[in-house]
Amino acid sequence: MLFNSLTFVVFFVVVVAAYWSIRFWNARKNLLVIASYVFYGAWNPPFAALLFSTTAMDFWLGRQMSRAKGHRSRRAWLVASVCMNLSMLGFFKYGNFLLENFQWLLARIGIIYQPPHLDILLPVGISFYTFHSLSYTLDIYRSVLKPTKSLRDFVLAVSFFPQLVAGPIVRAGDFLPQLVRPQPLRTGQFFWGLLLMTLGLFEKIVLADTMLSGSADRIFGYAGPLMAVDSWLGVMAFAGQIFFDFAGYSTCAIGAALCLGFHLKDNFRFPYAAIGFSDFWRRWHISLSTFLRDYLYIPLGGNQVRPVRAGTNLVVVMFLGGLWHGAAWTFVVWGLLHGSYLVVERVLRGLFEHRAWANTLATRLLGGFATLAAVCIAWVFFRAPNFTVAARMLGGMFGGHPHGDAILTTREMLQIAFVTGGMILVHWSLRDSNIETAVLRAPPWIVTAAWAFMACAIILTQGNSNAFIYFQF
Amino acid sequence: MLSFTSNFKRRLRLPRLFFRKPLEIESIHGGPPLEYVRPIPQLPWRGIIAAVVLIVVGAASAWEIYCRSIGYGPTLNDNEDLWTSARRRVKPDSFVIIGDSRGWFDLDLDELEKGLGKRPVQLAMAGGCAYPVLADLANDKSFHGTVICSVVPRLFVAPPSSPPMDRAEKAVRRSHTQTPAQRASEYLAMPLEEHVAFLKQEELTLDDLLKRLPIPNRPNAQVRPRLPPYFGTLDRERRARMIEECARPGSELARMTQKIWIPLFTPPPPPTYIPEEEFEKMIGQAISQRFNDVAAAVQKLQARGGKIVFVRFPYSGELKQLEDREMPRAGIWDRVLKDTGAPGIYYEDFRDLAGFSCPEWSHLSAGDSVEFSKRLIPHLRAALEM
Repeated sequence: MLFNSLTFVVFFVVVVAAYWSIRFWNARKNLLVIASYVFYGAWNPPFAALLFSTTAMDFWLGRQMSRAKGHRSRRAWLVASVCMNLSMLGFFKYGNFLLENFQWLLARIGIIYQPPHLDILLPVGISFYTFHSLSYTLDIYRSVLKPTKSLRDFVLAVSFFPQLVAGPIVRAGDFLPQLVRPQPLRTGQFFWGLLLMTLGLFEKIVLADTMLSGSADRIFGYAGPLMAVDSWLGVMAFAGQIFFDFAGYSTCAIGAALCLGFHLKDNFRFPYAAIGFSDFWRRWHISLSTFLRDYLYIPLGGNQVRPVRAGTNLVVVMFLGGLWHGAAWTFVVWGLLHGSYLVVERVLRGLFEHRAWANTLATRLLGGFATLAAVCIAWVFFRAPNFTVAARMLGGMFGGHPHGDAILTTREMLQIAFVTGGMILVHWSLRDSNIETAVLRAPPWIVTAAWAFMACAIILTQGNSNAFIYFQF
Repeated sequence: MLSFTSNFKRRLRLPRLFFRKPLEIESIHGGPPLEYVRPIPQLPWRGIIAAVVLIVVGAASAWEIYCRSIGYGPTLNDNEDLWTSARRRVKPDSFVIIGDSRGWFDLDLDELEKGLGKRPVQLAMAGGCAYPVLADLANDKSFHGTVICSVVPRLFVAPPSSPPMDRAEKAVRRSHTQTPAQRASEYLAMPLEEHVAFLKQEELTLDDLLKRLPIPNRPNAQVRPRLPPYFGTLDRERRARMIEECARPGSELARMTQKIWIPLFTPPPPPTYIPEEEFEKMIGQAISQRFNDVAAAVQKLQARGGKIVFVRFPYSGELKQLEDREMPRAGIWDRVLKDTGAPGIYYEDFRDLAGFSCPEWSHLSAGDSVEFSKRLIPHLRAALEM
């Protein structure tokens, strides 16, 4: 069920009305479990069984881990959980990718092997709920979380519908404590949740789908050489599209959770105002970057090891982060590029961080601009369906096609400039603040006008239920 | 007196829970309770929401009144889900209409039901290529019914990845992959679309309104031709009917639509990055491939006892001159019949079918579609040996 669909509107109204009219906390939680499975099953009912089996296995493994006496047996239960989750993810998401690459490798040594194409349907959101569930056993192993005694609570923590299919990646340790006692219905919290949902839908339906996606699709789908201005605008359009699409989903999820009395952490914090790549990853898909940091980068030694090893760790983590996004080498290159950016940044910081000029406004602005440009270059690999398209795009961006085609209309160019320019301006003006503070500082009539404007634009756009980009991950 | 900062924190309602000691019961999940609580801006929310609702309802009502005042009326949107609901109605021995908008506007289901004994299922679609739907029916092992296939040459041989192919392929794909949520959304949307005039995709959306802004373009910018405006209505059976305003000869709407058909049916220039000869060769190969694919699909259908008849519906005015010049009858129509061995009805070959005129050059009016269907039935029966 998509947030931007009529089905979801009806579903959400029914669930919220029923939820707040039920007095008993356990009954409310039962309702949310049923609603979450209906929400997920509305895509493909059999996959709800897969979701439940993954969850139940991790619940059992978590319990076994807590009962285990020695460190080795705890580790064995953890390995079982990691293997179970990652093998599920690997089969559904990377099965065909691995087979194709195996075939390619064999062909390099002269063996012709034609593997059967596995007709595997990717369960929606498997990358997200696998991580929701995995965080539970990982945190029990790290002794930062005690296993819950309630399977129902754990099932709800993994499947809570606002964050189920496209994040944020909510750790069981962040959600389970919220299931201990009921939160009262607070008017302000409820309406703030509704406003966040409107903002998220506006970002998705109006800004991502209507204002930017068409131009990005045209540019990346064009088979000929493009002028530099068209190439750059196409990449900027995609940079804006993916932000509004994904941040829009996260904002909707946070808003929907608030309407039900739950608190999810921010997943984006004005990332296009980042100065440097470590700053970027503290602002972009925060739930994934902190997941990778806590469960992968730090266990690998983090930055408490020799610089070369720390750099290697960064690249390994970003390589896996790239692969998490999709079973294609273009995603791997995207991840490796970000890993390299982080290593270069670390080296430069070591050399110049304490220089006086390093913290001037001009340097910061230049750093922000360079970060944005490098992030956009990496987006080329993220969006391009293959390396041929990526190479053609990069060729266009860096003057490789002086007589390339001009395919964008003036209206499309103005739309991209207006929307992405506005986005960057807002990110810079709020980079050290948050949306709550901005709303609080605005007079109520501005909040009213902005909310009404967003709602009217959503209605006018009508939407066509385009799936969110991150659903495919 | 409170400082600005503390007042600010108070208005953000930082939770008291955050500072209190966890209860025993709360330790069952480990860690402190509610480790993270979002700040909630304290604003006069009830007043804000009341004002927002008033503004949004007022603006939507004003937009609806305006859209109706300029001639729009409520009708269903022809999207993949509506097509899928029609596809679900196809039974093994159904009569099915496939192809483009001429098969959609020019056939009246009531008349066909009277004349053929069964109510056909309408699967033709505006600007759609017939092949993906034909292939889908041919691959449906349970189907052994009768197909009435409209042929507009330019759409019939549309190359892969072109908009006519994309449109038809998307619809077919949706019919195989539609989720319960998408199906539910369609059922919820239909009553709304039947009552609200401004819910018109590809016409009155924000995107379409922006596209109509009169902004001059760069030289050589690739601007896609505009699609025709609203000139027909659609019901739950996917029956399309031309609205009266367009059917009135010489009306402003009919003239505007005529002007749009010409660039839409004019072949686009070859891409700059492929030599013209190579491009023409590629197009030639794609057309040959389409003929082969269509012949294979027809053969598969006929092997199960299914039947197919190709129909060329009336078209007129400058559009007829353009179509006949760009895609002459011998090039596409004759070859389709020759390659497939299936029967065909070319409206110009029969005096009783040839006298119709299309108000906007491409489709019959609602009244003429009834008469045309009546007259077509004997020809269909003869072609299908019924």
